[in-house]
Amino acid sequence: MSSQKWRVALTALLVVAAFWAFWNTFELWTMSDSEKQTMQEKDPGKLLTMQQKAIRLGLDLQGGIHVVLRVKLEDLDAASKEGAVDRAIQVVRNRIDALGVAEPVIQKEGDDRIIVDLPGYTDAARAEELIGQTAVLEFKLLESIENANLLLSKIDTVISAIEKENSSPTAATTTPTTPTGDNQVMADLMGDTTKKDTSASAYEFDETTDYSTDPLTSRLELTLVSSRTSTAWPGYTVNKKDQILIDRWLKDPRVKALVPPDVEFAWSTRSMIREAREVYELFLLKRKVQFPGNKIEGISLGRENMGGLAVNFKLSGDAAARFAQLTGANIDKPLAIVMDDRVESAAFINSKIRNSGQITMGTGASFDDARNLEIVLKAGSLPAPVEIIAKNVVGATLGSDTISKGFWAALVGLLLVLAYIAFYYKVSGLIADIGLIFNLFFLLAVMAALGATLTMPGIAGIILTIGMSVDSNILIFERIREELLAGKTVRAAIDAGYDRAWVAILDSHVTTLITAGALFILGSGSIKGFAVSLFWGVLISLFTAYVITKLIFDFRKQYKTLSI
Amino acid sequence: MFSLIKKVPNIDFISKRNYAFILSAILAAIGIFAFVMISVGKGNMGIDFAGGVLVQGHFSQSVDINQVRDAVTGEFPEAQVNQVTDFSGGNAFMVKTKRPETEQEGAEKIKRIGEIIRTKFAGNTFTVDRESIIGPAVGEQLRKDARLAILLSIAGIMVYIWFRFDFRSGVAATVAMVHDVLAVLGIFFLLGLEFDLLVLSALLTLAGYSLTDKVVVYDRIRENLRKFRTRAEFVPCINRSINETLSRTINTSTTVIVVVVMVFIGGETLRNFALALVLGVAIGTYSSIFVASPIIAEWEARSPKRFK
Repeated sequence: MSSQKWRVALTALLVVAAFWAFWNTFELWTMSDSEKQTMQEKDPGKLLTMQQKAIRLGLDLQGGIHVVLRVKLEDLDAASKEGAVDRAIQVVRNRIDALGVAEPVIQKEGDDRIIVDLPGYTDAARAEELIGQTAVLEFKLLESIENANLLLSKIDTVISAIEKENSSPTAATTTPTTPTGDNQVMADLMGDTTKKDTSASAYEFDETTDYSTDPLTSRLELTLVSSRTSTAWPGYTVNKKDQILIDRWLKDPRVKALVPPDVEFAWSTRSMIREAREVYELFLLKRKVQFPGNKIEGISLGRENMGGLAVNFKLSGDAAARFAQLTGANIDKPLAIVMDDRVESAAFINSKIRNSGQITMGTGASFDDARNLEIVLKAGSLPAPVEIIAKNVVGATLGSDTISKGFWAALVGLLLVLAYIAFYYKVSGLIADIGLIFNLFFLLAVMAALGATLTMPGIAGIILTIGMSVDSNILIFERIREELLAGKTVRAAIDAGYDRAWVAILDSHVTTLITAGALFILGSGSIKGFAVSLFWGVLISLFTAYVITKLIFDFRKQYKTLSI
Repeated sequence: MFSLIKKVPNIDFISKRNYAFILSAILAAIGIFAFVMISVGKGNMGIDFAGGVLVQGHFSQSVDINQVRDAVTGEFPEAQVNQVTDFSGGNAFMVKTKRPETEQEGAEKIKRIGEIIRTKFAGNTFTVDRESIIGPAVGEQLRKDARLAILLSIAGIMVYIWFRFDFRSGVAATVAMVHDVLAVLGIFFLLGLEFDLLVLSALLTLAGYSLTDKVVVYDRIRENLRKFRTRAEFVPCINRSINETLSRTINTSTTVIVVVVMVFIGGETLRNFALALVLGVAIGTYSSIFVASPIIAEWEARSPKRFK
C-alpha cells in the first residue's frame, strides 16, 4: 500500500523537522537558572543564539515592559510629517539596542503608533527615559590607529588581570607564552596572512585560541579602511556573540580609567554580515562633536557618478561655512555619523563640502543600507517627537508565577482529557491520545520555527486546541461506532468512519481558522499570541487527526474486533 | 462498547422549539441591552478599552484588603481594589482606576498610590509586580479594532457556511452564533463582570466554536436529507440528525469544558476569559440542538424550498 508508505514517510519527516525546530527550546527550558547564569558569564553569545532560536516567552510570562508610543504628528510641519514614524522607529531601535534586551519587538501600528516590547527587562524608568528622548545626531572624527592600538593593548593587560582575578587562583600561576597584545595587533595591522587565513575559525570558542593573554584584542578583527592616500583608520569587527562580553569589559571602571577623556568607544548601531559572520563594529571616536546633525537639510537618496547608491544632503548659512572648514581640514579622514552615541556609519571625507554633499555607499551596499542612512540622517535633522500613551510593566516574579500556573493548568487539563478519551474510547481512545500528543509537539515546534512568542493567552489557545483536536477524534469514533452498529466489518467501519467524518472535521476546523485569522489581523499583543497558537493548533489538529491516528489504525490490515 | 447514550436516541427536539425560542429571545434581549450599554460606554469596561491605570503588588506580611481599599479610595474614590491570588500567598492585590488619562497623569497616579500604601503600611514591605497605564487614545483604537474583528469573523464564517451548505443554513448558523455571543455578553453584564480585551477574544473564539458545533449537525442533516424525499419527513430528518450527533455534541462539549476549566487555574488575568469560554461552550451546545436546526425547520415550514 503505497499511500501508507507516503504517510509514514511524511510523518517521520515532520517528526524529525519538529525535533530540529524544537531542540533549542527544549535545551533552554530544561536548563536550570544557575546553568543559565554560568552560561551568561562564560558565553553570553551562545545563550543569546539559543534564546533567539527558542520559543520566546511573552511579557506576561517572563516579565518585561510593553510601551505604546505615539508620534506627535500634529507638532510637525508638512515636510517633517512624511516618514516621521519610520524615523522615530529607527531612533527607538538604536536606543533599545543600547539596552541590551535579548529579543525586543519594535513595530509600527496604525498611522502614528509604535509598539515596543522589552521582554525580561524591568527597569521601566531607564527604558522610558531612553525611548522618550528626541534623537541626537552628531558627526565625530575617529581616533588614529596608532593611538587606538596603544589603548587597546593597555586595556588588554587590565582585562587579563581582571579575568584572572575572577577565575580560579591556580590559573593565575600559569605563564603566558603567546604573543602579547601589541604583537597581536601589529600582526593584524601588517597583514599577517597566516593569521588572516585562520581568522574565521579563530573567533570560534575553540581550544587553539588563548583568550587569557589578550582577551580583548584576540576578539577584535581590524578592518583596514583605506582612503586614496592609503592611510589606515581603525574600525574593529566583533563577532556578535562577543559583543555583550566586550561591552561589559569596556564599561568596567578599571577599563574606563584607562580611556583618555577626549576619546570614547562607540558601537555600530546594528550588527552586519561580514564574510558570513554576524558582527558588530567597534570604533574609537574623538569625543568632540564636530558638527551637529540638526543643521543638515534636504536629505535624499540618490546615485553617485559611478552609479552606486548615495545619500545627498544640503547645508546653508553658517552651517555650510562650518562644515566646509571641518571637511577641508580633514580630507581623507573618516567622519563618523553618530546617532545617540552609536555609530551609524563612518564616511571618508573626499573633498571640502560647502553647500551640498554626498555620502556614497560604496560597492556592496544594498538599497536598505542607503535607505537606513537616509532615515538616520533625517531622524537627526527632523526629529519626530514621541509620547508614551500606554505602558505595561510586569515584574519577573509575577511572570514566572504566571508561567508555572499556566504550565500546570495546561498539564492537568491535558491529562484529564487524555484520561477521559482513553476511558471512553478504550484502545481507540489511546490512539487518539497519541495523536493529541503529536499535535502538541508539532504545535510547539511550529511556534519555535516561527519565532513566535508564547503568552498566557497563547497557553489558553493551546488548551483550547486540545479540545478542538479531541473533537476531530470524537467525530471519527462516533462515526465508526455507527458504522459498526450498522453491521459493517471493523476494517470497513474504520475506513468509512474516517471518510465520512472528514467533511464535518474540515468544516469545523475552517470556521475556527477564520476566527483565528480575524483575531490575528486585528488583534495586538497577547491577542495575537492567542490567535497564532489557535491557528496552528487547529491546522495541525487537522493533520494529526486524519493522518497520524489513521496510520496507527492502518498498521493492522485486518481486525476481528475493535476496542472503541 | 461504552457510551453515554446506549443507542441512538429518538428525542423530538424540534417540537420543543417554541420553549427554546422564548428562552433564547430572553438571553438575546439581555445581550442586546448589554451590547448597547457597552457601546455607549455604560458597561463595565476593562482598562484596555476605557483607559486607566492598574497596579498589582504584594506585601511581605499578611494584610487586610479592606484597609488597603480604604487607604486608596480615600484619595482616589473611583479606584477598585481587589485581592488577587499569586505567588505571595494571598497578600497580593490589584488597584484599578478606570479614567482615561495621559501617561503623565497615569504615572503620577501610580506613584501616588504606591506612596499611600507604603505610608499606611510602613514596616510591611510592599512590592509592585505589575503596572499598566492605558491612555485614552489606545482604548478608542481598540474599540474600533474590536468592532472590525467581530464583523470580519462573523461575515467570514457566514459566507463560508453559505458556500458549503446553503443560504438558509448560513443565516441560521449565524443567528445561532450571534445568539451565543449575545447570551454570554448578557450574562457578563448581569453579573457585573469586566469586559476587556481577553473577554472579547473569548467571545470571538466561542463564535468559532459555536459554528463548529452547528456545522456538524448541518453536515448530518445534509447527509440524511438524501434519504428523505418528502416534505412530511423534513422535521423527523432534522430530529434524527440532531439525535445521531448528540453523543458527539455532548462529548466534545464535555472535553472542551474540562480543558477550559483548567484555564481557571491559570490565574487572575484569565479568569473572565475562561468563564466566557465555559459559558459559551455550554450555551453553544444548547443552541446547536435547540436553536440552529429548529430555525431551518421553521423556515422550511413557512416558506418551503426543499420540498414544495
